[in-house]
Amino acid sequence: MSRLLLLPAIAFAAMVLPLKGEEKPAAVPPPAPDSANRTQPGDADPFEAIVRIEAAFLQPDYRIPWQGGRPSSGSGTGWLVGKNRFLTNAHVVSNSTKLIIRTMNDPEPFEARILFIAHDCDLAMIEAVDPKPFEHLKPFQIDGIPKLNTEVIAVGYPIGGDRVSVTRGVVSRIDFQSYSHSGIDQHLAIQVDAAINPGNSGGPVLQNGKVVGVAFQGYSGSVAQNVGYMIPVPVINRFLKDVEDGSYDHYMDLAVTDFPVENPAQIKALGLEDNGLGVMVANVDGASCAAGLLEVGDVILSLDGSPVYTNGLIRVDGELVNMNEVVERKFAGDKIKAEILRKGEKKSVELTLKRYLPYLTLGEQYNQRPKYVMYAGMLFQPMNRNLMEAHSIRDPLVNYVFDNYMTKEIFKERPEVVILTTILPDEVNSYLQGYQHSIVDEVNGVKIKTMKDLAEALKKKEGDGKFVVIKLLEKNRPLVLKRELADAAHPVIMQKYDVSEESYLGDE
Amino acid sequence: MNLFRATLTFTSLSLTLLTGGVCLAQAGPGDMPKPGSAAGGAPAAAEEAPVVSAGGPAPIIEAAGKNTALVKVNVTFQPWNYRIPWQKSSPGARRGLGVLLDGNRILVTGQIVADATYIELEQADTGRKIPAKVKAVDYEANLALLEPATAVKDFFEDLTPLKVDADSRVGDKLQTWQLGRVGDLIVTPMEINKVLTSLYNVEGSMFLVYETIGIIRSEANSFTLPIIRDGKLAGLLLRYDSKNQTATILPGPIIQHFLKDNADGQYQGFPSLGVEFQITLDDQFREYLGLKKDQQGVYVSGVTKGGSAEQIGLKEEDIILEMNGFKVDSRGDYKDPKYGTLNMSHIVRGSSYVGDELKVKVLRGGKEQTLTGKLTRKNPKDFLVAPYLFDRGTNFLVMGGLIFQELSIPFLQSFGNDWETSAPLRLVHVAKHTDDYEKEGKRKIVILAAALPTRSTQGYERVGGAIVSEVNGQPINDLADLDKVFKESKESIHTIKLDDFPKLLYLDAVTAELDNQKLLNGAYRLGLLKRIE
Repeated sequence: MSRLLLLPAIAFAAMVLPLKGEEKPAAVPPPAPDSANRTQPGDADPFEAIVRIEAAFLQPDYRIPWQGGRPSSGSGTGWLVGKNRFLTNAHVVSNSTKLIIRTMNDPEPFEARILFIAHDCDLAMIEAVDPKPFEHLKPFQIDGIPKLNTEVIAVGYPIGGDRVSVTRGVVSRIDFQSYSHSGIDQHLAIQVDAAINPGNSGGPVLQNGKVVGVAFQGYSGSVAQNVGYMIPVPVINRFLKDVEDGSYDHYMDLAVTDFPVENPAQIKALGLEDNGLGVMVANVDGASCAAGLLEVGDVILSLDGSPVYTNGLIRVDGELVNMNEVVERKFAGDKIKAEILRKGEKKSVELTLKRYLPYLTLGEQYNQRPKYVMYAGMLFQPMNRNLMEAHSIRDPLVNYVFDNYMTKEIFKERPEVVILTTILPDEVNSYLQGYQHSIVDEVNGVKIKTMKDLAEALKKKEGDGKFVVIKLLEKNRPLVLKRELADAAHPVIMQKYDVSEESYLGDE
Repeated sequence: MNLFRATLTFTSLSLTLLTGGVCLAQAGPGDMPKPGSAAGGAPAAAEEAPVVSAGGPAPIIEAAGKNTALVKVNVTFQPWNYRIPWQKSSPGARRGLGVLLDGNRILVTGQIVADATYIELEQADTGRKIPAKVKAVDYEANLALLEPATAVKDFFEDLTPLKVDADSRVGDKLQTWQLGRVGDLIVTPMEINKVLTSLYNVEGSMFLVYETIGIIRSEANSFTLPIIRDGKLAGLLLRYDSKNQTATILPGPIIQHFLKDNADGQYQGFPSLGVEFQITLDDQFREYLGLKKDQQGVYVSGVTKGGSAEQIGLKEEDIILEMNGFKVDSRGDYKDPKYGTLNMSHIVRGSSYVGDELKVKVLRGGKEQTLTGKLTRKNPKDFLVAPYLFDRGTNFLVMGGLIFQELSIPFLQSFGNDWETSAPLRLVHVAKHTDDYEKEGKRKIVILAAALPTRSTQGYERVGGAIVSEVNGQPINDLADLDKVFKESKESIHTIKLDDFPKLLYLDAVTAELDNQKLLNGAYRLGLLKRIE
């Protein structure tokens, strides 16, 4: 389950290396000519299929959503997974405007483009516009989950070097982890103690020459030492299988919160045998595939025939992992069979998996132009993580709504929570200053559920149509503008503040 | 050399004081005076004391003389812990000055006696001490009356009671009285610049204040400095901003109100209006409301349940035009005959008593009408979520290690100064939106605050901050309900329904009772399994 609940309170640093202000590493002394390990001319280079990816980005500024954004650039690593198919991290190529691939033995830049991008598991597949230069390269083979304490090497272009770098370490832990790219997804991840540094992102982690993972994140600062994470093979394979049909369909989610069954009274009350099996359902989200099928107080005994333990773990491929791993490996429309105990009675429930959409609001968004509506200097935007961060919203109500968007099912009433984020000062709105960072509840008598509602409601004439009346949630007075004054001021404000378009409501 | 050492001593004393003040400030609302700017009325902020000793701008001392009306007040206080409700925090000390009034009564601020465990009065010159007790206290108006704990004949005989002056105005010259090391009177002049309404300490305590300019010395007994005009008590120092050298003074009229209310021994407190209003300066908004050019008034945006305004029939969206005969302008101010422009809240809070008539002229649906009724007061105990708790701990109940308590603002404030964002957001939200719960019939919000590790709570370690809705099928509207359900239940397993994660908990009735006994005397030494007052 991809919930924020278990997010460790530690900042992950995504491993993209910013190119700006890049420092050239100190010159490495030339290798001794008689070294036994010296590469001989004509040897096939085992790392030649590992490439450096340079990306130019345009980061949208959610405070000025009508502008393009701030250009920047960065670099990461990619590797050949099939014919002209390079695998890398989503965060290496997110928001990119231009992609360049360079190989270690060829100074020439090759233009590339994104084929598929999966923000929920931080993977992306890109291809070179001209496949020819890579035709002679051999794609890597993908292995399985490496055993604990076995040696692996991470290969990539960290710290901005032009030449490939290899670091060595062992597999330290296999566990569910938050994927920091979206900030809201959790999947299996493998911790290694090989040095993984900015620029390594997207690079392969190899064991016996085969890929066992994709390096993707580590900790910043002094939180932990010698800890790097790689995306393991089950996640890679799932991505590759998902895109086989030409589109990426994302992870499915049960959106069920579980609660361990360890308490003797609880075991008795729920009618369980004291055999260490079964986890209690503590919440079923109204928009999830389990809505109406599972209830609070149900006990999940098994998923697809595998017993679920009292702490919510399940055995998959011999490893004890979070029961959601069963869901993780499935695709949209797949079914999952759950044995449950409800009020002492055993039942079998079949769930048809679907994507759980409300949680996207809470996650970081990429490759998207921010939506907005501007009217008479008032900027309205839908609530999401990018917006909350860009505007540093402190308003307790907005924060409450953001935090409880899923748990209190606020998405049912407001699929898009519309926020008045900014008021560009002008004579027409000078008394409205101070009402920024409020949630828009009603405009001209119309309940606002989406940005589209807002755009339409602003034009709607209520009563004699003399006023535009904006009711804010729990803000104690309506904002009132005389339509004739507001309509006249609107284009002037747009021009004064250089707002090119009055709204962007998404591509339709 | 000696002098220098004395100053140092004072500095450290002031530090103690300040800590006491900060403690209180936490119990107050979020927008209290800046920390360091003499929270709790102690002018001796830690950082400024050295400046005084280093010979900074010398305080103007008008005259040094003999003390005729002041005693030192030493208070030991010990607030309850809101997160560990069966425990108290460690004791602290506050030192201040008390003003002798007739009838051997000593006037101090409410702050100084909050959560007091021991109060003593000290003769400034001789050092003689007697124990004292609180005769009356109002934490909203921040005033308290002390009296000797036992009858003492000669303690006050060298002192003359002060009379209260309620007639100070802008421009009047005042004096701050302080006592030196051996009881010598230190007098500092100041002048009233402004009269306005301002927040005192606890939530909802908007009252009249004087604002003055003048430097106040840092002395040992800095709490409750008396402010004098022509030999009468014109106020008590509420807070001092050392950076801007402005002092906020709790004024004579409020003191007089407090004393008058107390005179019959039945203290009722200050009436409350219970209205939230919005200014109507915005022309477009005024036109929308149908206000004529010459019509002033404010827009009512909220009416507190159980307040005076609700009882006289005031409604949201009304425009208040007049209150008790005073015209209310677009900012919510009226022309006070004594002080000039002042917030209309003073008409109710400062100049009226509970039971007085309230007359409000409103514009409703374009028509003027007059609403009348009696002024009432909503007591803190009638709030669904207590705005403050002093001299008592929070109500709580422990069952098998699960800690239940009634949600209160002090509980939320225990999460820190930025509690509005750092306390559990759901609970903060509930505390500010009590209407729905009151409609449901709840008297208090009972929360499961945390779980102590016991056999009964095995597996419940992560649980906390959840609102309790039902236990064994019975709705829980306050902690007494919960106590009753647990007492009368014949179930062998209690079923606890929560509004939040994990929604459902089970507790073995027998094991829980056994665990209760262990918690009482064992590792956690609770000493008390519940407090329901």
